[in-house]
Amino acid sequence: MSVIEVQDLRKSYDDVKAVDGVSFTVEVGEVFGMLGPNGAGKTTTVEILEGLRPRDSGAVRVLDLDPGREAGDLKRKIGVQLQQVSLYPRLRVAEVIELFASFYGRAGVADHLLALLGLEERRRAFVKDLSGGQQQRLSVALAMVNDPPVIFLDEPTTGMDPQARRSLWETIEQFKAEGRTVLLTTHYMEEAERLCDRVAVMDHGCIIAMDTPEDLVRTHFAEDAIEFSQRDGLTEADVETLPAVVNASIQGDRVSMFSDDVPASMAALLQLGQERGEPIQNLRLRRATLEDVFLKLTGRTLRD
Amino acid sequence: MRALAQLTLANTREFTRDRAALFWTFAFPLLFVLIFGLVFSRDSAAEYEVGLINQDESPQASVLVDTLEAIDVFDLSRGNLADEIASLEDGDRRAVIAIPSGFGASIDAGTPMSVDIHYDETRQSSQQVVVPVILQAFEVAERTLTRSQPVVRPAFQTLRSERLSTIDFIVPGIVAFSVMNAGVFGAVNIVSLRERRVLRRLQATPVSRLTLVSADLILRMVLVLAQSAILIAVARLVFDIRLDTNAGALAALAGVLVLGGLAFLAIGFFLGSFTKTEQGFFPVAQVVTFPMMFISGVFFPLEFMPDWLRPVINVLPLTHLAEATRQLMIGGATSIPMGISVAAMAAYLVVFVALAVRLFRWE
Repeated sequence: MSVIEVQDLRKSYDDVKAVDGVSFTVEVGEVFGMLGPNGAGKTTTVEILEGLRPRDSGAVRVLDLDPGREAGDLKRKIGVQLQQVSLYPRLRVAEVIELFASFYGRAGVADHLLALLGLEERRRAFVKDLSGGQQQRLSVALAMVNDPPVIFLDEPTTGMDPQARRSLWETIEQFKAEGRTVLLTTHYMEEAERLCDRVAVMDHGCIIAMDTPEDLVRTHFAEDAIEFSQRDGLTEADVETLPAVVNASIQGDRVSMFSDDVPASMAALLQLGQERGEPIQNLRLRRATLEDVFLKLTGRTLRD
Repeated sequence: MRALAQLTLANTREFTRDRAALFWTFAFPLLFVLIFGLVFSRDSAAEYEVGLINQDESPQASVLVDTLEAIDVFDLSRGNLADEIASLEDGDRRAVIAIPSGFGASIDAGTPMSVDIHYDETRQSSQQVVVPVILQAFEVAERTLTRSQPVVRPAFQTLRSERLSTIDFIVPGIVAFSVMNAGVFGAVNIVSLRERRVLRRLQATPVSRLTLVSADLILRMVLVLAQSAILIAVARLVFDIRLDTNAGALAALAGVLVLGGLAFLAIGFFLGSFTKTEQGFFPVAQVVTFPMMFISGVFFPLEFMPDWLRPVINVLPLTHLAEATRQLMIGGATSIPMGISVAAMAAYLVVFVALAVRLFRWE
């Protein structure tokens, strides 16, 4: 059963096409990721689904409601976390949670949510005294006050340190284990790979690829990546002509090449290095990632 | 209902935990009252230093000296002419009176005698107050000496039992001015919530715009009433200002203050829809409120204002709030009838609420 259905969604601001014909569905219990750089149209898409922005055209259903015409009913049922919200600075953490709970006619949910997000020790702290990561966790807690079956998280781990990020990932995995559906935007490919059942890669208002993270990588890279550092003895052409190499790129002194047959490519590389008198350093072998997929599809990195 | 209560509570907590907001709402207007009160309080009646040199030992000269000494507002100092003139030049005396020798003998002989009154004509109060009082004292002394009776005796019948002092006039003005500030500047809350994207976040919840605005209104109106009550209570305790304490008048006063507060809050919401940031809102609000503080009859009676400005003054909302507040606090006639002031404030409220609703943006 689909929780979210989007068909040919479009939205323009003046002459900028923020969302330019996006279609996808999200099934119950799925963690669906939208991956892309800033300005790709992720936030606009999500805010249309949340009933916060009108769309220009396209069909959208969330929990079988139209976010344009039935926003009131929809808002009662979904959980929302937005980017860059600075909540009431002089309220205490538990007070903010009870405030938001009251909008849904609920009370007494603070203890449970503070425990869930690891904020018990900060329950009496003023919002302005929280760290960036704690404020992010509070804003995820607020998305949970109405115990929603669907949660929209817009770049929830931005500004968090690695440890806080990992702990929020565990929380999101717990949402999934409870059977909730999560739509998540991010520009961290590691986050998408770890959390998402399926990922839509967005750029310039369009979905340019959509699949499970493994299949996205497998479709675009049947190969593994070999990376090494060198002085300047080898050119891209040198590397690409090595046996079984399908694709290579050089950024500074760092060379990446994708290979169908790693032992053959690696042996040839080491031999070529020896012939040229070029030391091959920091040699390592890794799987291709979503970052590589994005670079291949757009010619840009996710942080651009 | 729970949402409205929680939002009102949240606004209240945000306000009471903000020392700057507390200062501007309660301490600042109170400072105004205390400063104006100390300057204009009727208890500290002005005293004028006057030098007196008597160069005549006659009983007639003593009559004049006694008459001058009986004047409460004069603080007489006796010395020699040169020292007193020097003090006058330093500004330590408002006037110096010199009774010449031969004063008594001259009166006995029936010939007029000059008494020198030295004063600094550049000091307004010397010319307008001190000299006329001296002349009056001379007349009283003359009647005593000539044993004549005044033919016309003035008997003042004032409209009110108690004379209205400056502080009685100014306190209602300060109350109105503070209500204006609490209203217009109170709208910064919505601007700030929008700037910090909290409005956007609230839009994603089922809470209605009406609930959101009502929660703000409730706090602002409680603040308007609390602020006014504190101001009036302190002014009454410390300066014994005039106040119509009849329950009906007090209820009407509360009603007028809330109406004015709502009208100014609506004006603030309207101004707030043009500013993106909290920092951008303050100068705009200042430009609107600051001129009104001087020309709307808050500190000076409207009669002092130039005629060409009157049409402008007569439509300003603060004019109507100040006039209505003053009338309800001290009674008597005002320049603008109460009904017109109330209707004007209601009109401002309706027009600016309509504009603010139309211009409202979540982001």
